[in-house]
Amino acid sequence: MINYHPDQHLLSLHAKGELPLSMSIAISAHAELCSHCRQQLNQMTIALSEQEFEQQQTVAEQFDDAGLSGLLDQFMSSTLDNLDTEPTPQPQVVDNTVTIKGEQYALPRVFRKQINASWQGIGKVSRLRLDTGEPQARASLLHIAANGEIPEHTHKGAELTLLLAGEFSDCYNTYKPGDFMLLDQAHQHSPKTTEGCLCYTIVDAPLYFTKGFSKLLNPIGDLLY
Amino acid sequence: MENVQSQSAQTRYDKGNLIARSSNQRSGAMKSDEPNPMADELAHLMMQVANNRCKRSFASLFSHFAPKINSFGVQRLSQQGLAMDLVQETMARVWTKAHLYNADKAAVSTWVFTIMRNQCFDMLRKVQHNREDAFGDDIWPLFESDDAENNEEDFLLSANLLQHVEDLPPLQRQVVQGIYMQELTQQELADKLNIPIGTVKSRLRLGLEKLKSFMEKHYD
Ligand SMILES: [Zn+2]
Repeated sequence: MINYHPDQHLLSLHAKGELPLSMSIAISAHAELCSHCRQQLNQMTIALSEQEFEQQQTVAEQFDDAGLSGLLDQFMSSTLDNLDTEPTPQPQVVDNTVTIKGEQYALPRVFRKQINASWQGIGKVSRLRLDTGEPQARASLLHIAANGEIPEHTHKGAELTLLLAGEFSDCYNTYKPGDFMLLDQAHQHSPKTTEGCLCYTIVDAPLYFTKGFSKLLNPIGDLLY
Repeated sequence: MENVQSQSAQTRYDKGNLIARSSNQRSGAMKSDEPNPMADELAHLMMQVANNRCKRSFASLFSHFAPKINSFGVQRLSQQGLAMDLVQETMARVWTKAHLYNADKAAVSTWVFTIMRNQCFDMLRKVQHNREDAFGDDIWPLFESDDAENNEEDFLLSANLLQHVEDLPPLQRQVVQGIYMQELTQQELADKLNIPIGTVKSRLRLGLEKLKSFMEKHYD
């Protein structure tokens, strides 16, 4: 039973496609594990598509203004035929598992093109960085071997932890696979695990990864950041 | 299939007709469980595109969706040129992925919305981070027939698969062998067998689904 979920605001930004890659990965992976959130995202997506595509609109004139007539002509005269003769893309072999300290884990589908680095670590704690191309956020897989812990720490920014496998506890609670914990900088914690665990984490991202693109693109927002 | 060639360029696209009609029929906010003539018409057009590669139906879908995709793109990508790219890429996918559309899983609007959103995400990555990656379809599953595309990928992971090709019904076997063993394009195969490309796509999908079920039995 998953007890910790992304809030409505994050789910709705995700359905709109407005979150940065690091956070989109977290919500997508959570939704693969959590039927409740998956359901909600489906409902939101349906509502958004109705809002975007089924509203009343007088578009007959805009159609030509925007150059859409020309594009349609191009589709009809050549693009569609060209698309049909393009070769079927060669299927790629994707190994969507990671192996660390002798344990193999199958990852949610969203990770299948994200695992391109190798594990680094000391003692029981290992980290595999994801290259999301976002300088503002560090996204990783974090593995803690059985009976390991992360020393007590605070965060400069927020910290997202999505538990993918195993269990861990901190001073607040015990967590199960699928649990989605977003802690702000005020929180201090030191997660411990008895059986070992695999998490997806994003750290050191003040104001970054929980905001939609529209805010991120706003130059005033950049100055504040 | 409707005979597109015989019609003049002026009449064959039906520009705006679908929209004008559907706006008259409906007003205000809609609820998903109400009878929805626009949704039914869109679904009919999708079937025509998927099964018959009907260009005229595609043109009607284009007339309905393109202006809306364009205004979504203008808002999200802040550049008119990129919004047109979004229209182009989204509508191209509607054409090439039409055979994967599954009316039981989603309304046409919802399916097109997911294609557009995913494409827009990839374009934003390019604008913001200068990354040429395509993660949108990994992040948001499309509402498609049993995730058929992924199955196609999975199949080829295993050489065992080809043992089972012989167990397929002849028509499906012919198509699966043509695509995966003789490496013909879908169009080449359609020409060779003298069948519409939509039929190639649907036989291929059925064949792959059947192979998947053989595989599952095999591993049970
Ligand atoms: Zn959830």
